[in-house]
Formats: sequence, structure tokens, C-alpha cells
Amino acid sequence: MKVLIVEDDFDTADFIKRGLEQNGDTAHHVGTAQQGMVLATSEEFDVIIFDRLLPKMDGIDAVRILRGSNVVTPIIMLTALSETADRVSGLDAGADDYLVKPFDFSELYARLKALTRRTPLKQEALSLNIADLRLERTARKVSRGGQALDLNPKEYQILEYLMLNPGQLVTKTMLLEKVWGFNFDPKTSLVQTHVSRLRNKVDKPFDTELIKTIRGCGYIISDHD
Amino acid sequence: MINLLKPYNFKHALFLTSVITVLCTALFALCGSVLINSISKEQESELTELTEELKSQYEEHGLDWILDDLELDEMPIWNRSQSLERLDEHDNLFKVVQSGQLLLGSQLSFAAQETAKWQTLRFDSARQFELLTIRVDLDESLSVTILQPKSYESRFIAAAIWQVYLYFVTLFAISLFGLFIYIQVRDQVKRSSIDKQLLDIAKAPDSVRLSVPKHASGDRDLAKSINEMLDEITDLHGNMKTMSVGIAHDLKTPLSRVANRLQSMQHDINDPHLIETHLNHASNDLNAVISTFNNLVRLNSIESGQHKEKFVKLNLSELIYDLAQSYLPVFEDSGRTLEISTVKDVICFGDADLLSQLICNLLENALEYSNYDAQVWLRLQSHTGSALLQIGDNGPGIAKSDQPHVFERFYRADISRSKPGNGLGLSIVKAICQVHGAKLDLLPGQKGAVFNIEVPISTS
Repeated sequence: MKVLIVEDDFDTADFIKRGLEQNGDTAHHVGTAQQGMVLATSEEFDVIIFDRLLPKMDGIDAVRILRGSNVVTPIIMLTALSETADRVSGLDAGADDYLVKPFDFSELYARLKALTRRTPLKQEALSLNIADLRLERTARKVSRGGQALDLNPKEYQILEYLMLNPGQLVTKTMLLEKVWGFNFDPKTSLVQTHVSRLRNKVDKPFDTELIKTIRGCGYIISDHD
Repeated sequence: MINLLKPYNFKHALFLTSVITVLCTALFALCGSVLINSISKEQESELTELTEELKSQYEEHGLDWILDDLELDEMPIWNRSQSLERLDEHDNLFKVVQSGQLLLGSQLSFAAQETAKWQTLRFDSARQFELLTIRVDLDESLSVTILQPKSYESRFIAAAIWQVYLYFVTLFAISLFGLFIYIQVRDQVKRSSIDKQLLDIAKAPDSVRLSVPKHASGDRDLAKSINEMLDEITDLHGNMKTMSVGIAHDLKTPLSRVANRLQSMQHDINDPHLIETHLNHASNDLNAVISTFNNLVRLNSIESGQHKEKFVKLNLSELIYDLAQSYLPVFEDSGRTLEISTVKDVICFGDADLLSQLICNLLENALEYSNYDAQVWLRLQSHTGSALLQIGDNGPGIAKSDQPHVFERFYRADISRSKPGNGLGLSIVKAICQVHGAKLDLLPGQKGAVFNIEVPISTS
């Protein structure tokens, strides 16, 4: 994965860069929006990390200009502003995701992976399959090994999101955002409870475990160990 | 009292009095001149009528008839001094001339035209007369000239105006000046009393208030609103104090623990297993600090009202039902029961994310503080103009002494000190209610904690 980091805080940029390099990815770091825009238009990147508050220019304006000049590279915005309104304006400008500082590296990485692996085919696929687990999106039916599973709406939505990102870490925050539409963090084990019930239906009666918990980070659906 | 009369009071009163007096005088003069002018005009038309009548009577009856009519049948001749005497006594002066010879009347020389006209005549003396003049030509050789002094009404009214004006200037202006001085002194007394009271308030802003006058509604309203403002500021100040203490406490505890962990890490630097334990603990403590800050930022942004711009019409029943369904398994796993009863299609105007947080916070409050086997309920009822949302549990409830404070920032009842959280959850609930115009109450005298929220509903 080739990542462009546009971030004026060198500590944060270094933290992201080291994390990416430890995972075998390459990262370029620039400190201003102008440099970021030059690099983003002249080189190919898999994903761009754009800080929201940059000296001289708002990250949102930079993203809007990039989208205006037909740069389609996925962009994730980083910000210290956590409000819904800011999130909405970031997404309106053309960013694909929005992450509030401070964040766990695993959270950022999961989102980067989700952005780079996302292909148009996947988003619109009518059915999703992992091993013998099958999810039919038009009929909203789930079956495993030919046996129909009865999932409630939230369980279905969680499974769908996991299966859209197979083999990738999906964090608790991502599920809260995508499944519940929450931009705040409920203190209780809302996500854990629903995932646990989902696993009771999807994994427990069968031999292989498909949904795996990464402790303190989130969940991965995969047929590998 | 004397020291209240400052030079600027006099200046001010003098200025106001002068302005008002000048304005009134001008108005007075204008009215007077209009009145006198109309009387003069009337006199002119009367004289014109008289001359026309003289002319027609002359043609009908001859000169003797009209001399008789004018009481001039004795054909008097008035010399200069007699003429002036007549004018002094405001009598008319006549001159009848036939073929250039004075037939009768005044020997004074004066000319007049055939139309009535006001003239100022001097007659070679120091005195001058304002006279209405007219000449009537009875035939080719005979003419009558009439000089008429100002009428009695005209003279009387002019004199009256002048006299009233003198009284006006003296009495009116003096009393006006006095009135202004009185008003200023009275205001000065009031102001210095308020000044004194405000200085007292500055010394003890939380307790001292302005005295509210029993009468004088304007002053009473002012004192009341100043007192209300002070109460509001005192409340805000109190909140600020609680908040500073809260922030200091909520940050100090986890940060000290992080500091301790860092020291321990230095100590256990060679034991990777212990280092990992320390790291995990330090990370959890820092997350608690960050969560407190996130909640504070969220609370401030809710209170700022910026969400209001994004309010939409939404189905509150569906939102609540969905959330309740999401929380059902969480309650089940904790050993509690959650009873849900909602009416359908309650439509309100609001922000879905905020309303979700409102319900989550209250449900989580119930999860956190109710008994292990508690019954928790969530009800949505429809009323006219509003919907009633109730979230409650059957025990143990909130201590009476804590009840008035539960919505304050960082307020934590003793019972909750041992549990995770930062004392902002219910403050956020309150802020969300306020921004939606909803009325939030903690019901008193209940077995458990029961929150009532009256949400205005959207009908159109």
C-alpha cells in the first residue's frame, strides 16, 4: 500500500509512517496542503491521509480542489474536531472517511485497508461468500453450509459489513458508525453483545470459526486462521 | 442633597429649558401672527364693502346722503393737530375732495389707492401710524379718501399675545427649569443608590442583590432583571467552578496513574511481561482522559446550538424502537429486563444522532446504576402537541440529596464514584433536551430513577 500523509504535526506523521512501514507499506509525508496537492496530482497513491487543520489552507478546501481536478484516490481526513457537522463537511468535500484524533493506529490502519480494498464490484455485489457462509443482499438472507440462519437486522448489517471487508480488521468504532450511524461512543458493550450473538448463530453450530476477535481492536471475518 | 447638584445638572437643565422655551415661543408667535393677519384681512374686506356701498348710495341719493351716513353732515374740517388727535383715539380720518379742493375732512396730505391697503404714514412728526387706506372716486371730480386705524380686536389681541408671552417666558421657563433640576436630582439620587448597591454586590456577588422597589414599575422591572442577570451569572460561575474542579479531578486521577505506570516501567524495564501490563493500564487511563475531553467538546458543541441548523423531521418512534431493540440483548446479558412500549409514528423535529445519544445515555445510566436484576422500561406516549418519553428503573434510584445535582457537569453521587464514567452523561442528556426544546425531569418520590422527557412534536 502506498500512502501519502499530509500532516503538519511531525509527531503524528512519524507515528503513522512508522506504523505503516512496520506493516510493509510505503509512506510519503509532506507538511503543507500545497505540497500534498502537488504530490497527489503527480504521483499514484493507494490512499491519502489528509489532516484537517493545516497551516494556510484548510484540509477540506484542499480535498475539494483535488476532487475537482479528478483525483479519485481514496482520502481519509484526520481531525481534532470531533463534531458531526465537521465530519459531514469533510465527507461533503469529497473525503471517503473521517477519523478523530487521537486514534489507535490499528483503527486508522483498518480504515485505510477498508478504503483501499473497496472495489465497485464488492459494494454492489448481490451476494457475498466466505467459505460456506453466504449472504444474499437482495433477499437479505444468510445461510451457512446450505442451512438458513435467522439474523436480526443489526446482526445482518454487522455481518454484511464484515463480509464486505473480508480478511480486514473492522473496529468497534467502524461498526458503530456504519451499522448504528452513531458519531458518539456508547459506554456499554453494545457492539460486543451483538457480535457475540451473531457468532452464536454464524459460528457456534459449525466447525470452523469465521468471525475472529482481535482483542482491544475489533473483528475480522476470514476463513484462514 | 446639595452635593447632588453638579454644574452639569444646571447646564443640562438650562439647555433643555432654553430649547423648549424657544420652540414654544416660535410656535406662539406663529399662531399670533396668523390670528392678527386674519383680523387685518377681515378689516380690509369690511372697508372695501363700505366704499362700494358709499359709491352706490352716492349714485342713488347724492353726496348729502352719504355724508349723513358717515356722520359728516356738519362738513368738519380737521387741521393737522385735530387729525392726529383723531388717529390717536383710533377714529377714522376722512378727506372729501372736489375738483382738487378739500370739501371736508382732514387737512393732512395723504394719498390712497382705489383698493384697501395697509400703509405706514408719518405726517412729518416723530410718530407713525399703521393705517388702512382706500380712495373711492364718486364721480370724475369728487373723491373720498378714508384712513382707518387698526381695529379694536386687532389691537386687543396683539396686546394680549404680548402679555401672555411675558408671563410665559417668566413663569413657564422658570418652572420648566425647576422641573428639569428636580428630575435630574431624583435620577441622581436613584443612580447613586444603585451605584452603592452595585459596589456592595461586587464585594459579594453570590449573595447580595439590588433592592426591588415596591412601586415605580419601570425601576422595579430594571432591578428585577438586573437581579435575574446576576443570578444567571452566579449559576454559570457556579457551573464553571464545579467544572474546573471536575476537570482537575477527572484528569488528575488518571494522569497520576499514568505517571505511576511510567515510573514502574522504568523500574521493570527488563521484564517484557510487566512492561506490557503497565502499558495496557497506562493506555486505558489515557483513554479515559481523552473520553472526558471528547464528551466536554461534544457537550459544548450541543450547547452552542450548532446542530440546530441540521435539524430534520424524523420518526421518533422508529428511532426509539430501533435503539431499544439494539439494547435488549445488552440488558438481557446483564440480568436486567428491558420493557419497551412505544406508540407509532411520533414525528419530531431534531437531530437523529443527538436523540440517539440521549436515549443511549439514559439506558446506559440504567445499566450502570440499577440493581442487578432490575426492571427497566422505555415508554413513548403521544399527547397533544408533545410526546412523553419515559426511561426508568425500579431501584435503587438516586438519593434525595443528589437529585437536584444529577444534571450538573462532573457531578457524581457518592455511590457512582467507584464506577467508570465522568459525570457528563446526564449533562449531555440535559443539553440535548434543551437544544430540542424538550422538558427533562427526574421524577421525585420514585423507587428507582425515572426520567421524563416531554418532546415537542411536529404536526405539519
